[in-house]
Amino acid sequence: MARPLLFVMAGAAVAVLVGVLLPGGDTTAVVPTKPVAVAQAAAPASAARSGPAASSPYTVDGLRARQALLALWQGRLKRAEDTLVSYQRSTRYPHEARPLSEHPDQVRPFDPIADDIPLRTPGGEAAKGVRVRTTQDRVFASGAESVRFTVRAVDENGKTVPLLVTRATAFDLPDPRQVAGRPQAPVNFVDAGSGDGTLSAVLQPSTQGFADFAGTIRLQVYLNEEGQLGNVYFDVVYQPLVPAEWAGVREALSNGSLDFYLKARVAQPGRYVVSARVDDASGKPFALLSFNDEVGVGAQEFRLTLFGKLVRDAAPVFPLTLRDVQGFLLVPDKFPDRAMMPRLPGAVYTSRSYALTSFADTEWSSEERDRYLAELNKDVSESKRQVEELTR
Amino acid sequence: MRKFMRAGLWALGALMVTLATTAVATNYSLWINGRTGGGVLGNYADFSYWGPSSTDAGVNKKSVNWDGYNHISDQNYLVRNALDCHCTGSNWCYVAAHSAGDLMIGYTLSMYGGSTRYKKTAVAGADGVCSNSDGSTQTGWNIKWVDVAAGAGGGSELADAGDWAVSEPLVSDLKTSTARALYDHNNTRSAWFYMYAGAKGTLYSFVLPGQDDEVVAYHSSGGVSGSSGGSYCNPGDWLCNDLTLGTAANQGGRAKWSNHSVVFRDDAEAYNHYTNNAWGGVVSKVRADMVANAR
Repeated sequence: MARPLLFVMAGAAVAVLVGVLLPGGDTTAVVPTKPVAVAQAAAPASAARSGPAASSPYTVDGLRARQALLALWQGRLKRAEDTLVSYQRSTRYPHEARPLSEHPDQVRPFDPIADDIPLRTPGGEAAKGVRVRTTQDRVFASGAESVRFTVRAVDENGKTVPLLVTRATAFDLPDPRQVAGRPQAPVNFVDAGSGDGTLSAVLQPSTQGFADFAGTIRLQVYLNEEGQLGNVYFDVVYQPLVPAEWAGVREALSNGSLDFYLKARVAQPGRYVVSARVDDASGKPFALLSFNDEVGVGAQEFRLTLFGKLVRDAAPVFPLTLRDVQGFLLVPDKFPDRAMMPRLPGAVYTSRSYALTSFADTEWSSEERDRYLAELNKDVSESKRQVEELTR
Repeated sequence: MRKFMRAGLWALGALMVTLATTAVATNYSLWINGRTGGGVLGNYADFSYWGPSSTDAGVNKKSVNWDGYNHISDQNYLVRNALDCHCTGSNWCYVAAHSAGDLMIGYTLSMYGGSTRYKKTAVAGADGVCSNSDGSTQTGWNIKWVDVAAGAGGGSELADAGDWAVSEPLVSDLKTSTARALYDHNNTRSAWFYMYAGAKGTLYSFVLPGQDDEVVAYHSSGGVSGSSGGSYCNPGDWLCNDLTLGTAANQGGRAKWSNHSVVFRDDAEAYNHYTNNAWGGVVSKVRADMVANAR
């Protein structure tokens, strides 16, 4: 045998020896151990009481300790089994093609954000018998996008009561990375014409003094309801940059799945996060498709894959409609962390019709899934082994 | 003698290489702090946000410190560094998060959970960065589950109403509409978020809707879905919808975020938001679970 090889083997032997002899602690490896040894380390103090009486399984204390350990390992087994079963079921489809029902607040992503709050000033008590209902149609905005806000007041029965907006101004929130002192922009609330006393306003940062600002714009609204005062605040995270523009959609059936290619002219390279909803021909919300990957500059396609087994399991009525597309450039470790692409609300694309058998019926397969299933199965086996040892 | 010494040096070298590169499967318990922070950034042994570092808090516990002051996105690299160090290759993690730490880990998994990661050695430098193990990569991190105490993933009305300082960048992330729009909270990469919700709140009950722990209301700590908050309570309150245990939709019909399960609801109103540097408040419940199950 070559001498260097011998040395390496000797080194490895020493390493093993050191690994065995080193005391445990924060680097203890997780290896199968005898049930009692592991359990004693992890057991509640009452179960792991020291002394000969506690360590003997034939004493009352010993029996109690064993029962406590058994309960502990039964709990761990249940957690391990739940984790395994849940992961296995969840990942029969890839993370980027999910039933839309799993994402309850992503079904209508462009619906205004509605809130119902007490009428009060910061640090003050809430006004009696009145609440303020607000909406805001987006939090993140880029380029020339505008944001619409509404406010109205209601009494305890939900009936509209008169409300005055005495003042509303938009200003930049303090940010150590930006020069402070930008002039505040007045924002005008007017009757929204909805007949229920709603007042509305629109803020377009690019034309109202924020064209060169990236950060949080706060709209502070001062309210007066028959002498009772209060404030509401709306925040918009604004980024002047529009990183890419949409340029159409195409589809292709590939490997038993349906790919929607969302074309884009990308001005700013980086990680893009894109999502779209799929409804079937009867209008039933069906799937949430997403894309999250690095993209270069120029003409690009974001591929959103409608996974075959998801189609087979849900059996949607064709043709399918792709709707409510949103996308942004994700900027790591910065604020704002994103630059929005223009929203594509409503129906964006209608697919061709396919027979259900055109789609693959196989579960998602990947190194990631295999890795998880192997580890989670190992946890179940180990917990089972411990429970069995303790119930002998 | 010289031969013997040379062999010894070779053995020592081989030992170093072995220790540095051998894929020994290790489980870790990562603790991600909330607002205010306190631990030294990148020092995984500094538990000053939580309490005494001698306290058992799950296997091989590591403190994932971020400043609890700046924006989630600004500070997120610290969490990704920690996950890269301890949750790649043959190493696996259990994660515990408190308050805005919920927003932090949720954001991380939703935005970067499918990104390509270098497998690391789990030996961190002073900045909390670990070196690559063998140059290979994997998709995402190895996370078994997440325990969340007093989660602020749904934001806090204290940030909405101007009760917290506007000069603090994190406060604007914690505005309920912003926190909920920040990322798709349902996308946890199939990891379970076990939610622990405290209800011993009195001071801000006129601001925080329903039951609260004095900083966050049940709509957030209970993982209730939606683009804005809502009023959720313990059973028995006729004027307020119940926050249900488990994954079931809440009274009134609003669903929880996917992969979120309420395992502790504070029916006795006994747990508040604060750790008090003693693993206190609702964190004590999460710590107990980590001790029992993060092994």
